[in-house]
Amino acid sequence: MTQEGKLTRRAFLQGTAALGAMAALTGCASQETLKPSPAGEAGVASGEVEVRHAWCQMCGPARTHCSTLCYIKDGRWTNVEGNPEAGNNWGRGSRSLCAKGNAAMAVLYAPGRILYPMKRTGEKGEGKFERCTWDEAMDAIAAKLLEQKEQYGAKSYGVLSPQFYAVLGTMGRRFLNVHGSPNYMHSAICNSQRMFSRLVTIGGPKHAQATDTAPGQLGKTKLLVVWGYNSENSAVNQGNPYARLNAIEKGLKVIDIRPMQDGLAAKADIWVPVRPGTDGALAMAFLNVIIGEDLYDHDFVENWCSGFDQLAEHIKQYTPEWASPITGIPVEQIYEVARTMGTVKPMGINIGNGIGDQQNDGHWTVACACLIEAITGNLGIAGGGGAAMVSPPSLIKTKGVDELTEKLPMSKEDEEKGYMAGVSDLVGPETPRWFQTMDTQESGPTTAYYKGIMSILTEEPYPLRCIFGQSSNPLSATRQPKKVEEALKKLDFYVVMDTQWNSSCDFADYVLPACTNYETDQQFGTKNSTDGTFIAINQKIAEPMGESRSDWEYYLDLAVRMGYGEDFWNGDMDACLREQLDGSGIDLEELRAANKGIFVERTDGAKATEPKYQDYEKMFASLPNGKVQCYNEWIGNKPNCDDTGMISPLPVYNGPAESIAGTPDIAQEYPLVISDVHAYRLCNHSYYVDVPYLRELQPYPWVKINPATAKQYDIADGDWVKIESKHGWVKMVARYLESIAPDVLMSRRGWWQPCEELDLPGYEHLDGGSEINVLYDAEPENFDPFNSAMSKQTLVKISKLEEGN
Amino acid sequence: MAKQYGFYMDTERCIKCWACEVACKQWNGIEAGTIARRKVHEVESGTFPNVTRKFVSMSCMHCGDPACAKVCPAGAISKRGEDGIVVVDKEKCIGCRYCFFACPFGVPQYTETGMDKCDCCIGNGVTPGDMPHCVATCPTQALQYGEMGELADKVAGKKARQMADSATKPSVVVS
Repeated sequence: MTQEGKLTRRAFLQGTAALGAMAALTGCASQETLKPSPAGEAGVASGEVEVRHAWCQMCGPARTHCSTLCYIKDGRWTNVEGNPEAGNNWGRGSRSLCAKGNAAMAVLYAPGRILYPMKRTGEKGEGKFERCTWDEAMDAIAAKLLEQKEQYGAKSYGVLSPQFYAVLGTMGRRFLNVHGSPNYMHSAICNSQRMFSRLVTIGGPKHAQATDTAPGQLGKTKLLVVWGYNSENSAVNQGNPYARLNAIEKGLKVIDIRPMQDGLAAKADIWVPVRPGTDGALAMAFLNVIIGEDLYDHDFVENWCSGFDQLAEHIKQYTPEWASPITGIPVEQIYEVARTMGTVKPMGINIGNGIGDQQNDGHWTVACACLIEAITGNLGIAGGGGAAMVSPPSLIKTKGVDELTEKLPMSKEDEEKGYMAGVSDLVGPETPRWFQTMDTQESGPTTAYYKGIMSILTEEPYPLRCIFGQSSNPLSATRQPKKVEEALKKLDFYVVMDTQWNSSCDFADYVLPACTNYETDQQFGTKNSTDGTFIAINQKIAEPMGESRSDWEYYLDLAVRMGYGEDFWNGDMDACLREQLDGSGIDLEELRAANKGIFVERTDGAKATEPKYQDYEKMFASLPNGKVQCYNEWIGNKPNCDDTGMISPLPVYNGPAESIAGTPDIAQEYPLVISDVHAYRLCNHSYYVDVPYLRELQPYPWVKINPATAKQYDIADGDWVKIESKHGWVKMVARYLESIAPDVLMSRRGWWQPCEELDLPGYEHLDGGSEINVLYDAEPENFDPFNSAMSKQTLVKISKLEEGN
Repeated sequence: MAKQYGFYMDTERCIKCWACEVACKQWNGIEAGTIARRKVHEVESGTFPNVTRKFVSMSCMHCGDPACAKVCPAGAISKRGEDGIVVVDKEKCIGCRYCFFACPFGVPQYTETGMDKCDCCIGNGVTPGDMPHCVATCPTQALQYGEMGELADKVAGKKARQMADSATKPSVVVS
C-alpha cells in the first residue's frame, strides 16, 4: 500500500542517498522486534538495564506533565513506565501512563525521522529537496529574516503556534520580541479561548488565573456538568478521569454534554448528545429556564452581578422550544438538565475545548456556562467553581525563561491608541487589538493562526513574508487545507523544523531536523504536591539521530547569527538553564546527574488548605463594576477582532456556517452533521499516526456512524465511504457506533503519517484524502468575533466508496 | 491452600484508553500487528439515545483448573504451584492448537515460536506476585491484581463475580 497519486516524501527519498544513510544512522530496520528487557529489579541491579528519567512528549513536544522512567538496554530504549517518585496522575506511587505514553519509544526510532537539513530545489509542493548543512540553512534563514526586516519590517515574520508548546511560548516569544514582530500565530483552537471568555465574564486577575467553573474540590461536589470536555482523550494520565471515577463511586452525579458517548460519558448519569456546534443555543436555553423559573441565587445576583435584568429580558426569547430543533435535544431534556443545574448544589462545570474553541460561537457558549455557574451561586463555594484547595508552596523555586517583553517596540500607533506594544502591527488579531494586554494574553500579542496564513493571499493588512513552523503542520492544525496550501505556495519564505516530514514540508524553503525530547537534556519541569516537590531534567535517552538538533538550540543559534546573541546567552543553552535554576538551590550539574529526578520531601507538615470562600470582591476585581458581567461592559459594544463590527454585550447564537436548523436549504442536499474529536487518546493532534502500537488499534481514518443511518445508505461497518460537504470531500472507513445521533457523524483529523512498520499509508490533505478539515467552512467573517474560534462542524452527504484504500 | 493470583476488572472504572494493551506489548516485546495478550472489549447495548457502553480488559484467566493444560499433548502448559500462574514452555509447544479449542475464553494465540499468552509479566522480569505492567499502567485503577482472597475482599459489597461460572475456575473477578 502506498500513498496514492502524488510523489511522497518517502518515494522521493528513496531516489536519493539520504535513505540509505538514514537507515544506517538510525539502525532501526522497521520490522525489528522490540527486545524484552529484564526490567525487574534484578536486571537493573545487575547493570544490564539502565533507567533514566524523561518528561513524556506524547501529549506534545516539550511537555512536562508526566515524568517517565525509560529502560535502556544495550544502548536501546526498550521500555517506559510512569515514574512513581514524581507524583503523576493520582500522586506519588503512580506508575500509570496512557496508551500513547506506553508507545513513546517509537517516536525516537521512527523510520520517518528527518535526519538532515534539507533545502528545496524544485517548485513549492513538488517535493524536490537536497541535503544541506546546518550552517548553510541557518545562514540562509538569518540572512532572509534580516533582509525582510529591512524591506518589509520585522512584523513580516510570523511563527506558527500549535497547541501550547513550551519552546515557542518562551524562547520563540523572546525571539519575536527581540526581532520586533508581534505575530505569534496562536491556533485559536486552544484553552486560551476559554480563558478569554472566563476572564471577561467571571473575572480573575489575568489570563492563566481566570476564575474557573470546574470544581476545585470534587469530593464536595454534588453535580458535575461535563461540557465538551474530553479528559479520557486529552489528559488520560493527568488526574481528571481518576478523580472523577473516585467521586462517582462516592455518589457524584454527572451530566455529560457531547455528541459521542466516549469512555467517561458512558459513566454519566445523564448523557446529552448535543448536535455538534450548537452548544451555544443549549447554554442560552439553560439560562432561559434557570432565570425564567427563578432557580437562581437572588443574593448573589443582587450583590455580585452586573446587568442581570438586561440578561433576563434578553434571554426570554431563547426557550427550550427554540433550542430543541437546533440542538437535537428534546425539549423535556433541556428542562430537566437546566432544572438540575439550577437546584443541585454544589455544582461545577468542566468546560472543554469542544465548546470553547471548536465552534464559532465559542465565546458566548463559554460565557453562558460561566453565567450559569455564577447565578446559581456556585462560584466560590466548597465543591463549586473558583474554590480550589490551596497547595503548600513549591519547595524548589525555579524561574521561567524571561520573554523580554520590553524589547518589542511600541509603534506610534500603539502609543496613540493606548495599545500594548506591537498590537497595531498584528496581521490578524486573535482577540481585538484594544483587548490585548499582558494580563489578557498568555505571553504577549497574538495573531490567529489561520488569519495570519490568509494574509499571504489577501495581503490585508499586509502579507506575512516568512513563517516558521515548528512541530506544527498547518495543513492539519487549522481549517481548510486547500486555502492553506494556496497560501504556502505564495509565501516568500517558509521554514519548518520537525521530527517528521509533515505534509507542509513540501512547501518549505528549508526543512530542519528536530530531535525529540528524548535526545536532549535542555528542559526541566517540577511537580508540587502536599508530599513535596519533584524536579527533573530530560535525560538523554539517546544521542540525537542523524544531524537532528534541539528546538531550543535552534533559537539560540539563529539569534547569534542575526546579531541578537547578547539577548540569547550568546548561544549557550546551559547558561539559559542556569538562569532558570538560579536561586532554586539546585544546580544544573546536580540536576543532570539525578537520573530519576530529585524529590524534596515536605517536612514542615504543611497541608493543602481551604481557600477563602465567597471572596467575590477579590474574584471579580478585574471586571467592570467588580461584578459578574451578565451584560458585558468589558467587551460589549466594542470593535470585534477584525474591526468589522461590534461585539454584542449579551449572548448571541449564530450557529455553524452550515447546520440542520440554520441552513435548511443546504441540509436538503447534505443532510448529516459532521465534526471531529479535538484531542484523541491515540495521537497528539495530527501526529503519532505512524506509531505502530497506536496505529494497529485504528489502522484507517474513521468516521463513526449510527448503524441505522449507515444501513439507509447501504454502508456496512468497515466500508470505505465518501463524505462530501459543499467545501470538499474526504474518504474514511465507516465504524458503527450506536451512541451517536442518527444525523451526526464524528471523526478524527490528521492521518498524514504513514506507518511503515505496518505497511499502512498516510493520507492526503486535499479533496479525496482523509483530512477532515477540508470539509469545513473557513470564512474569517464567520469566526467568533471575540476570540477567532472557527466552526468545526458542517453538513455532509455520505456514500459507499467501492475503492477506498 | 496454595496461593492463586488473579485480576480484578472494574468495568465501572474502565474508559477504554488502551494503556493496558500497549503496556503489555512493550514490556513483553510483542511486535505491533501480531498478537495481543490483553484486549479491551466493548459491550454496547440499547439504541440511541438510550445506549450504554461497558468496557472490559481481558487476558488469560489463569484458571484454577486450566483446560488448556489438560489437553496439551506436549506437556507445554503448566500451572505454577506457588502462585497459580499458568505458563507456557515454548520449547515444548508443538503448535497443535488443542489449547485454543479447549480454552473457553479463546485466549491462546500462536506465533512462530509457539503458543503465546499472558504470564503475569513474570517472563519479562516482574517478581511473581508483583503487579504486571498492564495493572501498573492503568490510569484509572480499573485493572487490579492480587491474591484471589485479597481481590474478594476488595470487591465485597460490589456487584462482582468471578468470571463466568466456568468449570475451569478463572482467576478473574469482574464488577
